[in-house]
Amino acid sequence: MRENILIGGSAGQGPNILASLISKGLIDKGFFVFSSREYESRVRGGHNFNMITFSDEPVYSNSAKVDILIALDENTEGIHQERLNKNGIILKGSSDNIFYAGRIFKILELNFKILDSEIKKLDNYEQNLIHATEGYNSEKRKFLVENKRGEEKIKIMNGNEAISEGAILSGVEFYYSYPMTPATGVLTELSQKQKDGKHITIELEGEISCINAAIGSSIAGAKAMVGTSGGGFDLMTESLSLAGMAEVPLVIYLSQRPGPSTGLATYTGQGDLNVALHSGHGEFNRIVIAPGDPLEAIEKTSEIFYFTQRYKIPGILMSDKHLVESYYSFTGEPRVTYSEKSIKWPARYNSYESGENKIATEDPKIVNKNVENRILISKRLQEEIEKFQSFKLYGKKDSENLIISWGSTKGAILDAIKEKDCRFLQIIYLEPFSNKIKNELKNAKKIIVVENNGTSPLSSLITKKTGYLIDDKNKILKYDGRPFLFEELSNEIDRRIK
Amino acid sequence: MNEKVSARTLAPVTWCPGCTNFLVLSAIQKFIEQQMQNGKKKEEFGIVSGIGCHAKIFDYLDLPGINTLHGRVVPTCMGLKLAKPELNVLGFSGDGDAYAEGMEHLIHMARYNSDFKYFVHNNQVFALTLGQPTPTTEIGYTDKTNPEGVKLQPFNPIKLLLAAGASFVARVDCDQNQIKEVLEEAIKHRGFAFIEILQPCLIFHNYREYKNRLYDLQKERHDKTNLGLALAKADEFDYDSKTGRIPIGIFYQKERKTFEELKLNK
Repeated sequence: MRENILIGGSAGQGPNILASLISKGLIDKGFFVFSSREYESRVRGGHNFNMITFSDEPVYSNSAKVDILIALDENTEGIHQERLNKNGIILKGSSDNIFYAGRIFKILELNFKILDSEIKKLDNYEQNLIHATEGYNSEKRKFLVENKRGEEKIKIMNGNEAISEGAILSGVEFYYSYPMTPATGVLTELSQKQKDGKHITIELEGEISCINAAIGSSIAGAKAMVGTSGGGFDLMTESLSLAGMAEVPLVIYLSQRPGPSTGLATYTGQGDLNVALHSGHGEFNRIVIAPGDPLEAIEKTSEIFYFTQRYKIPGILMSDKHLVESYYSFTGEPRVTYSEKSIKWPARYNSYESGENKIATEDPKIVNKNVENRILISKRLQEEIEKFQSFKLYGKKDSENLIISWGSTKGAILDAIKEKDCRFLQIIYLEPFSNKIKNELKNAKKIIVVENNGTSPLSSLITKKTGYLIDDKNKILKYDGRPFLFEELSNEIDRRIK
Repeated sequence: MNEKVSARTLAPVTWCPGCTNFLVLSAIQKFIEQQMQNGKKKEEFGIVSGIGCHAKIFDYLDLPGINTLHGRVVPTCMGLKLAKPELNVLGFSGDGDAYAEGMEHLIHMARYNSDFKYFVHNNQVFALTLGQPTPTTEIGYTDKTNPEGVKLQPFNPIKLLLAAGASFVARVDCDQNQIKEVLEEAIKHRGFAFIEILQPCLIFHNYREYKNRLYDLQKERHDKTNLGLALAKADEFDYDSKTGRIPIGIFYQKERKTFEELKLNK
């Protein structure tokens, strides 16, 4: 089963709070939930909406069709009416998000106590409780959904919370950032959680300042991280190259939105793979990791801290707006990798090629040695990543149809291939690229690449690393700033494997 | 007491013969060695330099730190100080480094007030790239890229830093004792200390007459706690004029909470 709720309204009406309240109620009832949001780049007004898909089995994407439509304003019904299923229902007539929460809890037979305890965490509890109760009592309708699941506890988390959690579990001490959507969420999350005194967040005058301050903190022996989106990352890249030369561990969190330039500021995309892989002048080592869901984000954040510390290299942790701002539900615990610090004060570092005591040098023998040493480190790094889960396989083991993707497209793919004759290869480490991946491509008759971009940089990377060419007609690409919807991707895959 | 301390590496110095940077190095070296004789350890200092002639000082001082990118000395010093608040952090920049590529950081540092001491070796030219003008080069200066001469008026960094809220603003002549004396004051100052060293490049500037125009603010009992007076003093030299007095010494000093105190709650 897949049931879908759409909440629409204008910015400032609190559709996020409503979506969160409903999700908590559903989770309490034992449902898996996937909740995403789409919003415009404005503070008040316009049209924003949240989509909640819930099911009695794991669910990682939203649907094109809607079963329950909640209209916080008058525009919503008109905009989304055509998505409504035949027997779908519409909730309208009020602009109060808490009132709607009461109504939907009644309709879905969710536990009102959960709603009560959740609105206690908000401002104006007493007023809100009245509105919630009024809403609850006003509904007579029922929307019956069966849940055959057992008792295993489901957790709900978005990518922002997961990356922050991963950073905290890895012992991050300094997080430097300049606000930029969709990276700002991690800055907010880490700022809220800095009360324990173990890490602090620092906002400076720009991204260049942030990354250089982070390098300063890193050479002092602290675990430092910076966070930004594409444009800010571009500004940082000279210092990325510095971290590569000076051998300074540094975690750079790159949260994608569609570019080029300012692009679509509040939407999602995967257009920055090449810049993550190739930015920065000169030849130096880096690691690039892209988790595909929050549980993975916790684990992979800890792994990037591990590798950047162990090899004294910069690491780029990639996400996108869809991953970090969508709520995913899951069971199980993350496996966190412990990272020991590799930098101890006092020591010297140089942006020049340098020899003994890190004194700048132009001596060709020393330069050769340094370059060869960097190459040696890259080989060791390659060897060690092979011991980690740098890619994952899902679906039918013996299928000749192989779907390959990376990052947040994982969710829609997992949902779409459930009933299909397909294997899915999720590449998590983009650099270094596992040597084992080539083997997985051998038995595939058809290779399909799915990406949230227009030119499929992953296809080029696969060709470069494995020699396999991806046929243009087997690339499923979406580049309108929106994530793949379940039915849409399912149909696209069917067209290619039938 | 250890008399045989040395803050110098064995690296051969590659500045031009007679370069005033030798005097800066010597002053800093003496200061550090004196501190070491008084029991300080090398690891209690952290040095950061940028790119340009000045930056070679990193190779000559045997102290931990980083020779970083052009223009990025200021945020690097801040990150270092935040992560190791007990360090004495010394930053070194050229005028290209501080006033061109890195101006954005410098202006903001006047506001942040991170507790490190920052020297700008102002030779009024991009010397290492062979003589292009910087934001403090005098009007009329010619080089291969400006055959008609520089037409823009220079920045007045002292005025700029005062206006931006810096808590310690000084200018010194390139004189060993003066640099050391001001550094001794600066190191006692709790907060960001901006110290500009006047050292017009011997290769690319042909004027030395500025020397006899200098006068010491402290000898004239300048009230360094008065911002208005400091700004007036800063206006006496515009980095271009060939006549008139040039004040040196501490223009302004007023402590307030440092960035580290505010951020780390220490």
